[in-house]
Formats: sequence, C-alpha cells, structure tokens
Amino acid sequence: MHLFLIYTVDGITNGMVYAAVALALVMIWRATRIINYAQGAMAMFTTYIALIVIRHGAPYWLGFVVALATGLVIGAVTERVLVRPVESRPPLNAVILSLGVLILLEAIAPMLFGGQTQSFPVPVSNTDLLVGGTSLDISPFALFTIGAVLIAMLLLFLVFQRTTLGLRMRAAAFNPEIARILGIRVGRMLTLGWGLAALLGALAGMLAAPSVYLYPSNMDEVLVFGFTGAIIGGLESPVGAVAGAVGVGLALSYVSGYVGSDLAPLGGFAILIVVLMLRPQGLFSFGRQRQV
Amino acid sequence: MLEISDLTVAYGGVIALENVSLSVPEGSITAVLGANGAGKTTLVRTISGLIKPRHGSVMLGTQQLVGRSPEAIARLGVGHVPEGHGIVSELTVDENLRLGGLWRRDRADQRVAIEEAYELFPPLRVRRAVHASNLSGGERQMLSIGRAMVARPTALLLDEPSLGLAGGLLAQIMQRLVALVTERKLSVLLIEQNARSALSVADQAVVLSLGKVELRDRADRLAGDDALRHAYLGF
Amino acid sequence: MSTALRGSTLLRHGLFFLALALVLLLLTSFVFDAYTNYNVTEVAIYAISAAGLTVLTGINGQVSLGHGALMMIGAYTTSVLLTWHPDLPMILMLLVSIATTGIAGAIVGIAGARLRGPYLAGATLALAVALPQVPSHFASVFGGNQGLTVVSPAPPAFLGANFSPEQWLAWITLAAAVITFFVLANLVRGATGRRFRMVRDNEVAARLAGIDVARTQVLAYMISAACAGLAGSLFAYWVTLTSPSGFTLTLSLSLLTAVVIGGLGSLTGAVLGSFVLVYLPVKTGDLATTLNLPSNIANNVPTAIYGIVLIVAILVFPRGIAGGIASIVRGAGRIVRSSRSPAALPASPESPSQ
Repeated sequence: MHLFLIYTVDGITNGMVYAAVALALVMIWRATRIINYAQGAMAMFTTYIALIVIRHGAPYWLGFVVALATGLVIGAVTERVLVRPVESRPPLNAVILSLGVLILLEAIAPMLFGGQTQSFPVPVSNTDLLVGGTSLDISPFALFTIGAVLIAMLLLFLVFQRTTLGLRMRAAAFNPEIARILGIRVGRMLTLGWGLAALLGALAGMLAAPSVYLYPSNMDEVLVFGFTGAIIGGLESPVGAVAGAVGVGLALSYVSGYVGSDLAPLGGFAILIVVLMLRPQGLFSFGRQRQV
Repeated sequence: MLEISDLTVAYGGVIALENVSLSVPEGSITAVLGANGAGKTTLVRTISGLIKPRHGSVMLGTQQLVGRSPEAIARLGVGHVPEGHGIVSELTVDENLRLGGLWRRDRADQRVAIEEAYELFPPLRVRRAVHASNLSGGERQMLSIGRAMVARPTALLLDEPSLGLAGGLLAQIMQRLVALVTERKLSVLLIEQNARSALSVADQAVVLSLGKVELRDRADRLAGDDALRHAYLGF
Repeated sequence: MSTALRGSTLLRHGLFFLALALVLLLLTSFVFDAYTNYNVTEVAIYAISAAGLTVLTGINGQVSLGHGALMMIGAYTTSVLLTWHPDLPMILMLLVSIATTGIAGAIVGIAGARLRGPYLAGATLALAVALPQVPSHFASVFGGNQGLTVVSPAPPAFLGANFSPEQWLAWITLAAAVITFFVLANLVRGATGRRFRMVRDNEVAARLAGIDVARTQVLAYMISAACAGLAGSLFAYWVTLTSPSGFTLTLSLSLLTAVVIGGLGSLTGAVLGSFVLVYLPVKTGDLATTLNLPSNIANNVPTAIYGIVLIVAILVFPRGIAGGIASIVRGAGRIVRSSRSPAALPASPESPSQ
C-alpha cells in the first residue's frame, strides 16, 4: 500500500509534465491541425539554454524565465517561417516538416552544447519532505512541478477565456475564415499560439530535465507520452489532454513499479491501443471531426 | 458607395465572374439574383478579399479593396454575412457578437454597438450566454447580421440570408435590415436565390448568369414586369 | 518480341530486374572492394525497408513513424532463432522473419485501419519508443542491452577459398533487394497498387467503388512490415550484433527521411534515399576529418543535413529531391508551379481562397 502511494505520487508528478506537453500539442492541433513532433526537441533546446544561463552563475529563476522566453520565440518563429507555407497543404507535408525540425534540433544541440548527458539543477529540494520523522513521499520539487503546471494551465485558461486576445485566438482556431472576415489577423494569432505552446513545452523541459537528465533526445519519450495522453484525451479537448496525460503518467508509474521500468513505454503503447480500439477518436472527443 | 468595376475571377481555367460591374449607393440595397453557380457567392467572397480576382476593381468610397487581405477589408468597413450564417458555433452568442468589432480601438463604442445588436434582435439577448451551436436557424441569421453590424460597417454583404428560414421570420429580419440601411447609410449587397423576397426590399437588382451581368434594373420595375420576371427569374 | 514486351508488364519488369541483378552481380564480384560491398549491402537493406515504407506511406497514404520497430522484430526473430539453433539456414531465417514481421504488421495494421492521421502516427510513434526497451526486460531471451551475436553466413565452398563473406552477404542482400523491388513494382503497377492509391486519394470514393478500405490498409501494412522484416533479418546478419541501440526512433525517422528524399511514392526514390542514408555520413565523415572538425560536430552533420533536407524538401520540392531534379530538368518555370502543387502527396481539393 505504501508503495502504491509512492507510485501514485510519482505518476501524478510525471503526468503533469506530460500534461504540459499534451496541452501544447492540443493548442497547436486545434489552431492549425498540425501535430508538432518537434515540441519535445524545442523544449530540449530551451532547457540547454537555461543550463548555460545557470552555469554562468545566474540564479535558477533567471534560467527558467530565459527558457520560457526562448520557447515563445522559437515557437513563433517556427510557425511564421516554416509552418505557414504548409498550413494549407495536405497534412503529410506538415508531419514531415515538423519531423525535419525535430531531427535538425537534435543534431544541432550536440554541436552547440555537447552530446554528453548532463545533470540539471532543481530550484527546490528533490528529496522527500519529512514531517516529524515520517516521509511524506513527495519532494518539494514534485510539488513545484505539479504547482507550476497547474499555474500555467490556469493562466492559459484565463488568457483564452477571459481576454479579448484569447477570444481572437479561439475564433482564429475554430474558424479561421470567419475570423478573417471579422477583421482578426489570423496569421498573428497562429504565430502567437505556436509561441505559447512552445513556452508551455519549455516549461515541461525545465521540469523534466532534473529526472530524465539533459541530452539531445531527452524529451523524445516525454513527447511520446504527452502525445499519447493528448490522443487518449481526444486531441480536441484541453481538459481531455491533461486527464489523458496524467492517466498515462500513472499507468507508466504503476507498470514501472510493479512490472519493470523497461516495460513502462510498452504499457503506454498498450493503453493507447486499447483506448483507440474502443474509441478511435479518443475519450474526450465527441465524434465531431473537422479535419478533411 | 461600393463600386465594382470589370471584376473577373477564375478558378484555375474556369471563369467564375466575367467583367462584372455594379455599384451600390449609400443607403440602398442592391439585390444580386441568379441561379446556383451564377457566381453570386464568388462575387461577395471576392469583395471580402477571400478570393483574389484576375482583374478589376472594388472601391469602397475612395479605398481600393482589391489586393488587400480579408482582415484589412473588414477593418475598412465591409461587413460580410457569409452563406450559411458563418457563426462560430464553439463560442457563445455574446462572444460571437464581441468578435464583430474586436479590432476597433473605441472600446466604449464597441459596448454600445453590442448593446444595439441586442436591441436590433432581442431574441439574442436571452440567449447571450448560450453556445451558438444551440441556436435555431433564425437566431443564427440574426446573430450573423448583428455581429457584422457591431463593427459599424459602411458596406454590408449578405449571402443568402433567406436560406433555411421560414417566410415570416425572414420578413421580420428583412424589415429590421431595411430600417438599418436608411438609418446608417449602409450600402447593402444582398445575394439571393429567393428573388421574390429580395426584390421586395431591394432598391435595384442585378441578375447574374454564368458569371456575367445579364440584366440590371430598379427592383420595383423588375418585380412588376411579368415578362422580365419570367425570362430571368422564372417566377 | 517487342509486342510481347509491350503487352506484359510482368515480362518487361522481369527482364529489367534480371538485367539489374546481373549488373549488380558483376559489380559486386569484379568492381567493388570489400568496403564498398559492405556499404552496398547496407544500402540494399535500407532500400528494402524504405521500399516497404514507400508502399505504405507514399502509395497507401498511411504514416508510419515506427518502421524501425518493425525492422527490430525481423532482426530479433532471426537472432533469437539463431541463438537457439545456430545451424538454421539463412534463407529459412529470412522467410520466418518476413512472416513474423508481416503478422506483427497485420496486427498494427488492424489497429491502424481504424485510425486516421495523427492517431495512427501517434500509435506507431509509441511503438517505436516502446519496443526497443523490451529486450532489456527479457534479457534471457533477447540478450538484454548487450544484444545477441549473429554469425554472418559463410560463402559456399564451390565459390573458392578467397571468396569473402562480405561479398557473399552482398550477393544475398542484393538478390533479396532485387526480388523485393520486382514484387513491389508489379504490385504497385497492378490492381492492388491501384486500390492502395484510391484509398489514399479518397476513401469515400474507394468505398463507393467497392473497395474494402480497412482490408486494403491492413494489406498495405502487412506488405510494408514484411519488407521491414526482411530488411531487419538481413540487418542482423550484416551488423552481426542485434541490440536495442540499433533500432531507436532515429532509425524510424531516417527511413522516413529516405522515403521523402527520394520522392514519396517512388520505389526508385527509395533506393536513392537509401544511398543518401548510407553515403552521406561516410562523405561528411571524410570531410570532417579533412577539416579537422571536433567529433561532436562531425558526428552530427549527417543528421543535421537530414533535418535540413526534410524541411527544404517540403518547402521547396514537395515531390522529393528526385521529383525536384526532374522539375529542374523540365525547366525553371515549372519548378515554381510544382513547388506550389504538392503533386506526389495525397491531394486535397485546392481552395480558391488560398
């Protein structure tokens, strides 16, 4: 029972990181009908930049802010320069393009930062909290991880639901043509959407790096698990993506704990297949397919 | 004044509009009639900038619209009520209305404009927090027209507003529209297959056939001349 | 003679591939040195796998980000069986690997036939990440992370004492490749290929034409996986060591890169792309040595080039490098147009508003 608790806490903590990736993927999917396979690689890149900033003696928080800001810029530039030309083309174009960005970033990173695995600092302790001699089975960093993702989600929710900018972004995502004839600059909204998604990805990168370490392909699995969560959630629904991703985090943690860590990804794959067999559009999608 | 001259549009090699010219004076309604595939929707989509014409010009007052993006054209004062309403069904009624003038700097007047839209179409007010997907056909049409009006346009393009509406409701909506036109000095281009309803509110009418202007006349004269009506409109 | 040739695609293909086999036989026997034979074998292995992926993605329109995992199934089938019975003949190993991977492909295909676009891509991606971690859990069977050793087949005695194992493996692999391409070329030209393309271009229309869409998709997946299985088995013999590190996500992405470089949907393109996969690292390695580049840069130049090539291919030449070159030959004016119309990719009706 005690082990179960430990696995559950681990699962939720990792699941929140996957949730940040899943939410980033869903944001881009809803706005541009594109899966950004480079989401993880972008996060790896921004995490390296944070590491450089921190290694130069700056405090963790400055590195944190720099990573998020770089993410915003990388995402926006990618959309404007690379993705814009293929947005109206058949979907396979965008798939290959984002895989190209993924491959390129993972090749450039070792050139710039070295290919070896590096440890990554935590802002708060990574050892479990003790209260009166008994362990609470959760570390301050785990709490920070959960809290940071929750706050990011809350902020995004407020931006999208409570501001006119968010209203513009939603209109541009739901119906770009109508948005344009209402005077909304849809192109800018998409650029901003990609930027915000990459910012969220950068957050995931910062939170994942202390446990998965930092190397050029360190986010591959995180991306796949986040993507799995997003698909289970139905790709359309932010709530579904978060729920799906936390579910994946929990499942991986249990498989890893009770069966063996090597089989965790296979467990993730199995869950994905089972869910998709039962509901090919994911759990939180309601059969409405806007894609051609 | 909305002035279209020599507008030619082609999809690939197929000509959809050929040297179409027409003008819509301020405070008047010009009905564009014609069968399916005559190029009516192409005409409004070209004016809005959604389709790039091969050549020709569209002037709104002194501004050339051809060559501008749809968002820029909207900001110059062209309101477009697209075919099939074009409301964003994932958003609420209120959010749809707000979308109409989001680009405008004058926030205070924006609130007034939304209030006016609710006054124009009172049924929308009770449903303001409802997702637009739950609206009836008539409510959707009101929302779409109301939303276009929130931006305080000088020209209004209406694409088949009668589609799927019961006669009584359509007449009601049209009545409000006519009142608006004189009050706001709007230039309205009304695309219709339902010629009878369009002619009853329009000042002048243009009949499109296979992308060309077949006939243009005063609406009352067209409605009153049996021979013309039979020949061009089939009723 | 000439009418018979024109009449029968099968005969024409047969003669062409026979001639190709002869040329390759002569080249590997008299022209190439051992190192070249070694590299050519690798090209042939990738080409077999890439050809399978071409059929799946290019011709049938299903995306697979997990073809490396399918190759892994083929390689492990061969390696595990050889660990148990080292004397089993290579031809049997190749056939069994084709069968097991084909079955695995059918299973993925059955799952995949219900999935579209990103859902299918996500499932194959998850497979590509999950499968390479399995061997370390069942180390007693799969040899863990160290992997399983495979002995390269010895050339038969009648070829003489000087006949090298590299040359023998090159012969076998090239023969396998020629047969694979012969079969696939006929398949793509024939009724099956037509069905594949119809399903890719318009599922609804295909269904109306009486095509069982799901069955067609499963068949495409199975054929594609069988190719990957064959390639995987040959790969095991070629590397002589089968370990999880050979089948990472990078392999899956490299295969997709090869297919795109060559031009999606073109079997010739699959060969061209495989040449690039093998020779680009060799050439950039040479260049890096000449320029005295540090290893962290030199080692990653080929991958960086893949990435750039994928991006450029999509932005400038949506029909692949092969298609791009063809366009250049046909005149500069056409490039502009071909780069705007994604001819080789599954087409969608062009919206006039774009």
